[in-house]
Amino acid sequence: MKRREFIKDLAVGGLLLNFQPGLLAQNKKFPDLAWIQGESPAQITKEAVSSLGGIRQFISRGDVVVVKPNIGWDRIPTQSACTNPEVIKTLIELSLEAGAKEVKVLDNPCNPANRTYARSGIADAAKEAGAKVLFPNPHKLKKMALKGEWLKEWEVYTDFIEADKIINAPIAKTHSLCRLTLGLKNWLGALGGNRNQLHQKLDQAITDLAAFFNPCLTVMDGYRILIRNGPQGGRLSDVKLFKTVVAGVDYVAVDAAAATFFEIDPQDLPFLRIAHQKGLGQIDLEKLRIEKRTV
Amino acid sequence: MKKERSKKYRIIQALRILSQTVFFLLFFYLLLGTHFPGEDYIGRVEIFFHFDPLLALTTFIASRAFFVSFIFAAITVVLTFVLGRVACGWVCPLGSIHQAFSWLFKKSKLLRPKRIKDNRTAWKYSILVFILVGTLFSLNLAGILDPLSLLYRSFVTGILPAANYGISAFIGILYKLKLFPLGDSLVQFMANLAINPIFLQGFLIGLLFSGIVLLNLYRERLWCRYLCPLGAFLGLLSRWNILKLKIDSQKCIECHLCNIHCETQANPFPLEEWKSAECVYCFTCSAICPTSAITFPVRTSPEQIATVDLSRRKLIFHSLLGVLAVPFFRLSPATRRSSPKLIRPPGALPEEQFLKKCIKCSECMKACPTNALQPAWSEAGPEGIWTPILVPKIGYCEYYCSLCSQVCPTGAIQELTVEEKTKVKIGLAWVNKNRCIPYNLGTPCIVCEEHCPTSPKAIKLVKTEVKLPDGTIMTPLAPVIDTDLCIGCGICENKCPVVDKPAIYVTSVGESRSEKNQLLLDLIKENSGPY
Repeated sequence: MKRREFIKDLAVGGLLLNFQPGLLAQNKKFPDLAWIQGESPAQITKEAVSSLGGIRQFISRGDVVVVKPNIGWDRIPTQSACTNPEVIKTLIELSLEAGAKEVKVLDNPCNPANRTYARSGIADAAKEAGAKVLFPNPHKLKKMALKGEWLKEWEVYTDFIEADKIINAPIAKTHSLCRLTLGLKNWLGALGGNRNQLHQKLDQAITDLAAFFNPCLTVMDGYRILIRNGPQGGRLSDVKLFKTVVAGVDYVAVDAAAATFFEIDPQDLPFLRIAHQKGLGQIDLEKLRIEKRTV
Repeated sequence: MKKERSKKYRIIQALRILSQTVFFLLFFYLLLGTHFPGEDYIGRVEIFFHFDPLLALTTFIASRAFFVSFIFAAITVVLTFVLGRVACGWVCPLGSIHQAFSWLFKKSKLLRPKRIKDNRTAWKYSILVFILVGTLFSLNLAGILDPLSLLYRSFVTGILPAANYGISAFIGILYKLKLFPLGDSLVQFMANLAINPIFLQGFLIGLLFSGIVLLNLYRERLWCRYLCPLGAFLGLLSRWNILKLKIDSQKCIECHLCNIHCETQANPFPLEEWKSAECVYCFTCSAICPTSAITFPVRTSPEQIATVDLSRRKLIFHSLLGVLAVPFFRLSPATRRSSPKLIRPPGALPEEQFLKKCIKCSECMKACPTNALQPAWSEAGPEGIWTPILVPKIGYCEYYCSLCSQVCPTGAIQELTVEEKTKVKIGLAWVNKNRCIPYNLGTPCIVCEEHCPTSPKAIKLVKTEVKLPDGTIMTPLAPVIDTDLCIGCGICENKCPVVDKPAIYVTSVGESRSEKNQLLLDLIKENSGPY
């Protein structure tokens, strides 16, 4: 940034500070959430991002971007345990179009990474789009101060720390402990260590994690959602074709919207209540400007 | 008279080294390639074993059934009939390792070869007789000493894990030196190789292998000379081969260089003492001869030079020894009552048939994507040493994977499609309520249920009343097993957050392959008619 620009920004910012914060909100050009339905996962992803103002709102030229899908399980796309590969592919293509220097895709899965990456279809799709698909690298684990309420520190893959921008791309599934696994819980995949011990206070842990990672954009894959036997599913009857993508900057709001996929009130999900209380985002869908469209 | 080494045989010698290198690399390539290939089915990565006539014969006799893939062994047999033990000298990857180390030890003067005239070359024939007699009683011990089995097992459970550890440490140093791009690409390279890093007996098997290699300090290719049962078998087959040694007595200066440098103690000079059964056709003698006196023309005469020293007395003695050994190998409590830890890979035949066919080669252990399959020590009795067992604390059986059944070279693990495999039970899971977190601390956990791969899940979460030390009563969700749905894959035990001794564990009871090792007599449940 040049000195002149800096002074200009400072002046503009200083002027704006005199007004109520509501002024900015009211004049917002773009909705809080984009809720797009349609036949093609790629198409609805693209539409969702453009409804929010286009990818350039989030990704700048030269950014190193990490796209974080859920690649947790050794399951194929129709079983809907991992994020839809086309959604991931589209997000990578958009980021590269916006001039990202490099897009990385990684996740620390529950089943062996070489199986989940391949069978989810994500590795091939991401490589085709031009991303670097990385297996979790134990040498890159670093104990970080998460400064959470419960989770003070944990081992994190530094790929996420070093990135300029993070896009969270979870899938909506049922889960027996926090009822649903959505965007906030997706951050468990960025951790190393004995993650299964986090389940003792999972709702608290995932809100702490979400605050730490703070993605610039969250794109919830609701093309196929897992309504039973989560988070792995197995039978095709566990899957519901929902053909929806919800995207937004407010990652708590995205999860709140996704809760309604399952006809669950966001207020009934403890992790969303905690996140809301912490001021991480809005869970009252009435207070959000949601752009709903079908393409 | 011209004093010159034979150019022709030096070229042949170079070709032999090339052939050994190519076959070793092929063996190693197939070995490294034995892991999840990105799709459900892997090609015939186990093909090397099917060229081994010793394994073909022993599994055939022991199981009284011929496994079709072993048809390739006929090629080796015919080759040996016609040309002698060329497979030992030109193909065998273990032989190549021994030859390479012998050469290395000679070059570094750690080994000074001299002419040896002893009869220890007969040991391997005794070992062969011992093994073959055992197979008559369905005792299949061939895999312990078969060179391909031994080499594969040593690489998979010892050498590769050690190399993996070393490379990982090296990568650690790269990161310390801030060579990040190099470190990153090495990590991704190693992740793609998918080497299983932990094996229960990696140290022991690795040590045995190192010992066998170090034997070359004492004699060149000592293993091939004295111990290899496959070499003995091919030696016996080579009796009528047509590649015969010839020494031109006009040129020979009786320097004995050929005898000193003979890799396998075949005694080229004098011609009457040449043991064609010991010769592996490495052509060292003809290449090293300072006067080019030694050649290997194609001819049938002299029909016999020096036969294998297998006297009738010895034959009977070693056969008897083999017979006497059988009961000792069968001394195992597992024959009385199934061993809880004897969890076999999915598709494994019923224990008795499994032991007849398993050659302890570790193919399945290499293919396993989670490192779950481990060489057994005492779980399957002395007969079943180094056969594969699933150890859930180390790894678990991946639900949509049937690789181990696909790579088994003898059919000890029956080939299954992924679809078929998901229906096979290899054991059952049990909750240890004394250690389980919800049952004791009243805190939620559900990790086992979350990982359970079946649909519907075999682990159900049930609200359970729990008394805490201060008397308060909690009602957390606690795991309860549905034994009908559980397939015994062991992921629950593997992922249990009670790290030291998991609060949920798998035992072999309920395995599909066994009639006896069952929990409930479903038959009685279903037809409770006449009684």
